[in-house]
Amino acid sequence: MLKFLPDLLTSLLLLIIGIFIGLVLKKVFLRIFRAIGLDRVSERSGLIEVMRKGGIGDSASALLSKAIGWITIMIFAIISVRALGTPTIERLFERFLLYLPHAFVAAMILLFGYILSNFFGRAALIASVNAGIKVSGLIGKLVKFTVFMLAATMALEQLGIGRETVIIAFAIIFGGIVFALSLAFGLGGKDMAKGYMEKKLFKGDEKDDIEHL
Amino acid sequence: MNGIALREEVQDRIQDIREADILVGIPIYNNARTIGHVVKAVQVGFAKYFPDKKCVLVNSDGGSTDGTMEVIHNATIEDFQSILLHHRVRPAFKITTPYHGIPGKGSAFRTIFEIADILNVKACAVVDSDLRSITPEWIELLIKPVIEGGYDYVAPLYHRHKYDGTITNSIVYPLTRALYGKRVRQPIGGDFGFSGNLAKFYLTKDVWETDVAKYGIDIWMTTTAIANNFKVCQSFLGAKIHDPKDPGADLSAMLYQVVGAAFDLMDAYSDNWKTAAHSEPTQTFGFQYAVGLEPIAVNLDRMIDKFRLGVKELRDLWSVFLGNGIMDFLFNAEKLPKEEFHIPDEIWAEVIYCFASAAHKNLINKEHLLKSLTPLYIGRTASFVIETWDAAAEEVEAKIENLCRVFEEKKKFLIEKWDEWG
Repeated sequence: MLKFLPDLLTSLLLLIIGIFIGLVLKKVFLRIFRAIGLDRVSERSGLIEVMRKGGIGDSASALLSKAIGWITIMIFAIISVRALGTPTIERLFERFLLYLPHAFVAAMILLFGYILSNFFGRAALIASVNAGIKVSGLIGKLVKFTVFMLAATMALEQLGIGRETVIIAFAIIFGGIVFALSLAFGLGGKDMAKGYMEKKLFKGDEKDDIEHL
Repeated sequence: MNGIALREEVQDRIQDIREADILVGIPIYNNARTIGHVVKAVQVGFAKYFPDKKCVLVNSDGGSTDGTMEVIHNATIEDFQSILLHHRVRPAFKITTPYHGIPGKGSAFRTIFEIADILNVKACAVVDSDLRSITPEWIELLIKPVIEGGYDYVAPLYHRHKYDGTITNSIVYPLTRALYGKRVRQPIGGDFGFSGNLAKFYLTKDVWETDVAKYGIDIWMTTTAIANNFKVCQSFLGAKIHDPKDPGADLSAMLYQVVGAAFDLMDAYSDNWKTAAHSEPTQTFGFQYAVGLEPIAVNLDRMIDKFRLGVKELRDLWSVFLGNGIMDFLFNAEKLPKEEFHIPDEIWAEVIYCFASAAHKNLINKEHLLKSLTPLYIGRTASFVIETWDAAAEEVEAKIENLCRVFEEKKKFLIEKWDEWG
């Protein structure tokens, strides 16, 4: 017990120092990020809009400085655990440490997937509205869902969950949706398609001659 | 800004010419059907109105594959007496060159400005390649105010069908006039005259990777000239009749490029337009006369359907930057039958100003924002068509004049929105 006490004290001291440095770094980086106008850049790039939609109310500077603070505290926490010199906890931490990059990459994939799904979903919605397609809302949602599903599949694969099963499931679901849609259109819309083709090929569409420019 | 690299044979040709007085540029891309007439009109214009000047015709090509080049090469005036020309005719120089950069009218113009700069010309003009109504007099009307009147920029003034140029009539003209205080009726007409100095000034601007390189060039040229206090006038050219545009041309892309360029210019010249209190008329040259115009088919039902679809699907997007009053109006307008469908000038001006402020603030992706304007623009056009169905040209012009007044009156609203979100 007496042999363990100095290790415990060192470990606690390291943790306290880590928390202190983490808090200082957080404040310092917050000031730096604000000074270089990071919030303005992220606002212009549309990142803030996405974050707000995702329920994150913080500014980009606050979010990044918080992340830096937490990473510092985590590093010191790991060092402090190692200072304890207990093999079981050390092994557990090692495994946790090795898993961290995967979790980080998965989180990044999910974040970018969310941003991209919103972007492409909205682009598809606007394009189909401008093309006069009645089911524009559905198209927009489908595109958004598909892009996010793709990102989620990649994130799960990164985390090692399911791996092949997830990819196969995604392929089956996605393929199924496409097949179901083609079947539905082929059967349900054959008269409409026929009418459309006839109108296009034989009668011509009633178009405007308006010259916009 | 770095200049563009011209082909060796073009450089040799320019070296042969060395200097010139007048340059007319034509942006071309697969215009074999109409380019012959345009080139001949320009050549006759040179011979008839500027016989003692050294004139150059530049064709800036975007990669035509339909024989446009051969047509240009063969387009020469054989018999000058048939056009009642008896004086000595100095042959005009012809340069045909591919342009570089983003494919589009703006990149074609950049090459024209570049050649004008090298040749140190006094006056330039650009005319569209698909014109069917161009006459030699257009060259006189676009060039003479520069050479003899000391003007730097000559905008065109045409008689157009009441449903022709609807982006101009409902957005670009009222907006430009309200912002910069100059009543230039056709700010994106496409056929302009300008001084060599202004061409040099255009080249100092680094805008060739933006929408200015495409359809945005016209509004950019006009606004840049007005906002930088160049001497601006307009010339009456008669009717503007051109080949029908490619039916596949995407309206929302066109709207995005033109309106996007106008909004970008608002950012660049915010100090200028915030202080311009009212608009003043622009000196107009040319003898005005009535012209017969080709009828235009309009499918009102389809237009109103597109507006309704837009309100149904894009309301969440618009509610981010359109006020509650406008949103309530749009919900109600969506339910109106065709006969009662109407978007008043006041609402329309506020819509455009809200879009401009939202673009300034980057509230959402700019392309999404501006493309989402399409259903509203179509709705407004439908409303205008209903309103002016039986109206004569003068009455239609009076309605456009009224819309411009509303844009000017609502300028305070724009400044508030702009600063509130800025």
